[in-house]
Amino acid sequence: MSYRIPMGPFHPGLEEPYKLEMICTGETVTDAKLHIGFNFRGIEHLAETRNYIQVIALMERVCGICSNIHTLTLCQAMERLTNLTPPPRAQYIRVIVAELERLHSHVLWAGIAAKLMGFKTMFMTCFEIREKVMDVLQAISGNRVNYAMNRIGGVNRDIEDPASILKMLEALEREMLRTIIPIFTTSTTARSRCAGVGVLTAAKAASVGVVGPMARASGLSQDLRRAAPYAAYEEMEFDVPVQTEGDVRARLLVRALEIMESCKILRQALGKLPPGEIFVPVEKYAFITGTATSRAEAPRGEVMYSVSWREGSRNPARVHVRTPTYANMPAVRWMVQGARLADTPLIQASIDPCYSCTDR
Amino acid sequence: MTGLEAISQKLGTTAPWRESGGVYWLDPRTLGIRDIARAMNEAHARFVTITAYQLPKDEGLRLEYHWDLDGKLLGVPFKLAGDSIESIYDLCEAVDWIEREIHEEYVVEFVGREHEPLLLREGDKPGVNLREEAAR
Repeated sequence: MSYRIPMGPFHPGLEEPYKLEMICTGETVTDAKLHIGFNFRGIEHLAETRNYIQVIALMERVCGICSNIHTLTLCQAMERLTNLTPPPRAQYIRVIVAELERLHSHVLWAGIAAKLMGFKTMFMTCFEIREKVMDVLQAISGNRVNYAMNRIGGVNRDIEDPASILKMLEALEREMLRTIIPIFTTSTTARSRCAGVGVLTAAKAASVGVVGPMARASGLSQDLRRAAPYAAYEEMEFDVPVQTEGDVRARLLVRALEIMESCKILRQALGKLPPGEIFVPVEKYAFITGTATSRAEAPRGEVMYSVSWREGSRNPARVHVRTPTYANMPAVRWMVQGARLADTPLIQASIDPCYSCTDR
Repeated sequence: MTGLEAISQKLGTTAPWRESGGVYWLDPRTLGIRDIARAMNEAHARFVTITAYQLPKDEGLRLEYHWDLDGKLLGVPFKLAGDSIESIYDLCEAVDWIEREIHEEYVVEFVGREHEPLLLREGDKPGVNLREEAAR
């Protein structure tokens, strides 16, 4: 006999509201249906009512974790419409903040995953390290969540003392190497809760169109920092970690390895930070009529902005955002099929979902 | 032969790919969206999204379909004659949510698929246009 079990929209196993309606036979999930929209704020519409300065602040609030990547992608699109190219130093600073944001996001996710595994000590450790990443972001931007770093044609704040940031980064990397990476890669708890659970095959991942660590954990080597480099990524050397198992453990490993790659990129960017201006001084932005599109590799995967403008207007005519979770969430239906009911909170968390991003 | 040329060849079109605003655009001319979707599948292009634009006055809607091919963002625009266009859901399951969202927001009928209940907003009335609501 099959029966339906609703999880959410408000549930201790979910970080934000959404609803997973599961059809079960005994303790096994046979199918599931997803319901979103609980965080719908009409942000794309609101963007049309904001001018080119205000819209940056607005889009920074699409997501409470990867706020910087939204302004970076939006500014890149607006730079195409104003024919502005940020100076090299600004491009490097964009890479530094984007990678710190990736660190912060991945460590936060690791903490939540640890909590859902029943590994509460690890949760505490992850959040302690995350605080340190946020301290670095605060030292650079003055802010801990919405950094307000990007502007059209560059960045708002300089990194005046890269050596001090490097020092903070080294301490952070040491802790990650000492705790997070070895525990997640070798602990029996992590292995027994995650291996073979919530499998998304490479074929299904390609068919559903998943992005970011989700795709890379299913054997698809796609990363916009490598395939379509933006900011200063072309000048950075790094690997794109790929695992082929497609289970929760593979997602854990990909993110753990990406933490180390982010540290590698940060060391290079801070070490080679070129001198010069941090933005193009402009008295008045001259937008051309047309549509520009920009993509970036957010911590959860590809984010895309399409921005449409009419010459002479202060407001965009249209802003469309395709967030990574929007592409990744439909895969949850396939990942929970055949899973034990008790594993479903961890499976849905393994996509590192951001429901606010998805609903906009 | 480049990936873009291979797609053109599969489609049997001589229309050039035009780079603009970060996208490689293809004018579909007489081709339908299902022809495009099949060619993209054969080229192993990854579906990214559809962006809907409400055109000025009563000119209707334009849908821009996007795929990724080895880091290149491809775009194919379709101006809707009426309020409908063929669905490509059976060819590309990644379009599911965005087709449903556009149906919900602009009442575009994606012919050939069933529209499940609304995705983003409460209620059973699709086509509540926020821009028009705000202007009222």
